[in-house]
Amino acid sequence: MSDKKPYRDDQLKILLTQEQIEDKITELGKTISSDYAGKDLIMVGVLRGSAYFMVDLSRKMHIPFAIDFISISHYSEQADSAGVVRITKDLDLSITGKHVLIIEDIVDTGLSLGYLLRNLKTRNPADLKVCTLLNVEARRIVEVPVDYRGFDLPNIFVVGYGLDYNERYRNLQFIAEFSRP
Amino acid sequence: MGIITISREFGSGGETIARLVAEKMQFLLVNKETIAQGLAEYGIEKPVPRLEDLIGGEEDQAGLQYLEAMHNYIYDLAIRNDLVILGRGGSVLFCDYPPALHVKLIAQFTQRVQRVMKLYDLKPETAVKLIKEQDCSTRQYYRRVFNMNWANLRSYDLVINTQKMALEDVADIIIAAYRIHALPREIKDAPGGVEIEDRVFISPTEAEAEQFMHSSEEEFAHMLDFYRIRWEYEPKTFLLEWDSEGNVIEAFSPDFFLPDQDLYIELTTQKPKQAWKKNRKIRRMKELYPDINVRLIDKKGFESLLRKHSIDHDEGEEI
Repeated sequence: MSDKKPYRDDQLKILLTQEQIEDKITELGKTISSDYAGKDLIMVGVLRGSAYFMVDLSRKMHIPFAIDFISISHYSEQADSAGVVRITKDLDLSITGKHVLIIEDIVDTGLSLGYLLRNLKTRNPADLKVCTLLNVEARRIVEVPVDYRGFDLPNIFVVGYGLDYNERYRNLQFIAEFSRP
Repeated sequence: MGIITISREFGSGGETIARLVAEKMQFLLVNKETIAQGLAEYGIEKPVPRLEDLIGGEEDQAGLQYLEAMHNYIYDLAIRNDLVILGRGGSVLFCDYPPALHVKLIAQFTQRVQRVMKLYDLKPETAVKLIKEQDCSTRQYYRRVFNMNWANLRSYDLVINTQKMALEDVADIIIAAYRIHALPREIKDAPGGVEIEDRVFISPTEAEAEQFMHSSEEEFAHMLDFYRIRWEYEPKTFLLEWDSEGNVIEAFSPDFFLPDQDLYIELTTQKPKQAWKKNRKIRRMKELYPDINVRLIDKKGFESLLRKHSIDHDEGEEI
């Protein structure tokens, strides 16, 4: 029962330009590089939304590090009512004893990130931190630590730069507020 | 006076089951229609088509009088007759009468939709709409007339999920339960009588199963379950205001409590203009209970939550 309205009705209002995003990522790359200098860092991108951010951020880093990706199932109407969140693509690397930085496109409710943190913690990394491009504190249900953040957003729905609506709009180079009439 | 009250979720087969129970027991069936007919004989007419509309916000004298007349009429009937009372808050009206058996009939939403489609020859969307409207109006009726939560299963003696059973079987179960429940112990234990102790008693469906006031709350609970977040539904009521005599005049029960987060959550799908009352309650709660964490998820927040998970949310009743 997904939205049947035609996409031509979607309204997008640019919120963060390509330039603003680039500048912020350069800044984050610098901070993270200096914080993790001399440490065995694994950056863990959470698929699929963070793919764009992960790639761009990794190119702004000036220390050695490894990258890996993880993906978890998300709640949807189709989900079996008895279903629970699970990892659909696990890490390929072992993170035990490593410094792990989770890379998220957006942290809002904290529900999926909360699960991810609980799961990764059991693998005994040296430490576990979170970097997100967008942070929507107003939607938080579960408290999660956010160590690095690009932008704080109010309670709005956004698309672009990896963020989708029904798998659309991920490839936009900017971030826009999304609405449907 | 034998009393069986039957409350049902619309589409769970209540009408038929009540009629069957009444026929088999030779009890008098009391429902909306028979009440209207009975009162009409006394010259009391329903003031408007829908009683539910009447007893809304403003004090409506005609509505209240009709309600009172209706309740008196049912009580009068009960003195002289054995009754099967379908709906109309029967379980509340006879809550202090121990021999009465209070039954609640429930069924899966999808099952109810199918039944209603077949019964009234409706399209799925129409059936869904009708069921939601009926549920909503019953809930409001209980809330306004009795100040009670209709969905609370704890006010019933027997709860039956009708979806896997033939309606006649459900009727027989109710009759069996009534006989066991209403007859004095001595008779039940008398020699030659049915060996009650050996019988498997019909167990009510999970009394602990949460009954939500609103579909969005149910959706939210599913989401929490999915992410393995422990929650409790309306576990606590916070007193907010007292009059000069110390009577509580305002209280607030947040929808959810997440024990691991130590957080109360109130969900609203009202538009901001109408949500001020809830906002005010939450502000008041924060003033009075500064150590308690409470968070409001508003219409916008809830919609983006659903949108994020690509779930279409049919508007439904605002909460």
